[in-house]
Amino acid sequence: MVAAIRETASEIHLNLSACNSFEEMKRELERRLSLAQDCSWGSRISITAKAGKLTLKQTQEIKTFLAERGLRLHDFIIKSEIRGEEENDFFENFSHYEETALICRHLRSGNKFFTDGNVVILGDVNPGAEIIAGGNILVMGSLRGMVHAGASGDEKAIIVAYRLIPTQLRIADHITRPPDGEVVLVDSPEMARIRSGKVCIEKLKI
Amino acid sequence: MKSRVIVITSGKGGVGKTTTTANLGTSLAMMDKKVVLVDTDIGLRNLDVVMGLENRIVFDIVDVVNGKCRLKQALIKDKRFEGLHLLPAAQTKDKTAITPHQMKNLTNELRQDFDFILVDCPAGIEQGFRNAIAGADDAIVVAMPEVSSVRDADRIIGLLEAAGLRNSRLIVNRLRSKMVRRGDMMDIKDILDILSIELLGVVPEDECIVVSTNRGEPAVMENASRAGAAYRRIARRMMGEDIPLPSLDEPENFFYRFKKILKMAR
Repeated sequence: MVAAIRETASEIHLNLSACNSFEEMKRELERRLSLAQDCSWGSRISITAKAGKLTLKQTQEIKTFLAERGLRLHDFIIKSEIRGEEENDFFENFSHYEETALICRHLRSGNKFFTDGNVVILGDVNPGAEIIAGGNILVMGSLRGMVHAGASGDEKAIIVAYRLIPTQLRIADHITRPPDGEVVLVDSPEMARIRSGKVCIEKLKI
Repeated sequence: MKSRVIVITSGKGGVGKTTTTANLGTSLAMMDKKVVLVDTDIGLRNLDVVMGLENRIVFDIVDVVNGKCRLKQALIKDKRFEGLHLLPAAQTKDKTAITPHQMKNLTNELRQDFDFILVDCPAGIEQGFRNAIAGADDAIVVAMPEVSSVRDADRIIGLLEAAGLRNSRLIVNRLRSKMVRRGDMMDIKDILDILSIELLGVVPEDECIVVSTNRGEPAVMENASRAGAAYRRIARRMMGEDIPLPSLDEPENFFYRFKKILKMAR
């Protein structure tokens, strides 16, 4: 449940938009922080909350609560409840996730990105970088590192990249790697998904 | 045979610790020994790339010490040799993710299944170094024939002695005999004078290393590689065989000897 954005465990993102009252939100925050052992002293934290749910005083209270645990509140993301209505047939086959994180930089070796929802990367994912997403992963660049889509068990999750040349691909419980000694030059967008129990890579056709 | 935990270290970066670990491990495995290579360079792992096993990594050393998986699950079997295994480092953590105590327990666990446990040490003398040497019985110090590398090797040998590792042995890496002959490079004798530890072997500069590193195939598998041959000899020395070291006084080059004779004749 805990969504966390991490770069050497310095940034955490929590989604508390499911909580309806402030009290519930506080309880949930406390519970999740006790679960996320990775958050180190001085970490930055962002919280997503439902629109119109927080007063200034309550925000202050959360800030103090976090400060006691050595965390710095970085950002409050207030989520509105607008949802896209028109849906393309192509996308109906895939699981729907509320949230999509957008990363506008290259993920380099040692970077790790972790989220509950989808991820879109406007950049490359280099070898040694890791993306773990509960949903789908889209790389608008070269995917050379390790990505894990559908990390919480969603076998319908897909991985799409402009150039799909990964070290390793993981979808749900499946782990695959490119065959040894075979250098395949790809120059068109490809998509990986599970078909009859196996990870298949196919040309992206929309 | 009793299993040995050997740490491969140098102090300075870029002198060839990882290359040495990969090549010695592979040549020992070629002699039907059970070998595990342990990468302790957490955050800057390389050994998996040099071994060409990067895409097989699922769990790493940090997962093992934190109990996220069993040791056997994290060990990667080499694609070429039966007895060769790799325990990869984590890439998204840093050196403080494990402690010397955990490392010691880990190497003791590995002793039960392997003849040789080769620990690839990170550059530097901080926690990564202390982790790497924690469970070691022996150390191999890699140095290049240049002043800065020898200086760092000297410091490392001191630190190893302080930690109770008194039988470190030296590998001189990337020696260019031509430059030594011209007097432009330190020769083995100079290095041994300063470091005064046992010499385990000399590895010549070899372009094959670059090619084999990029391909993920250790140079010892390449028969034509001079460095590969040197590593194979070193591995046999590690097994206790008596393989003579190249003579320290005289480069083995035929033409050089020939020239020398001519000079003497004059």
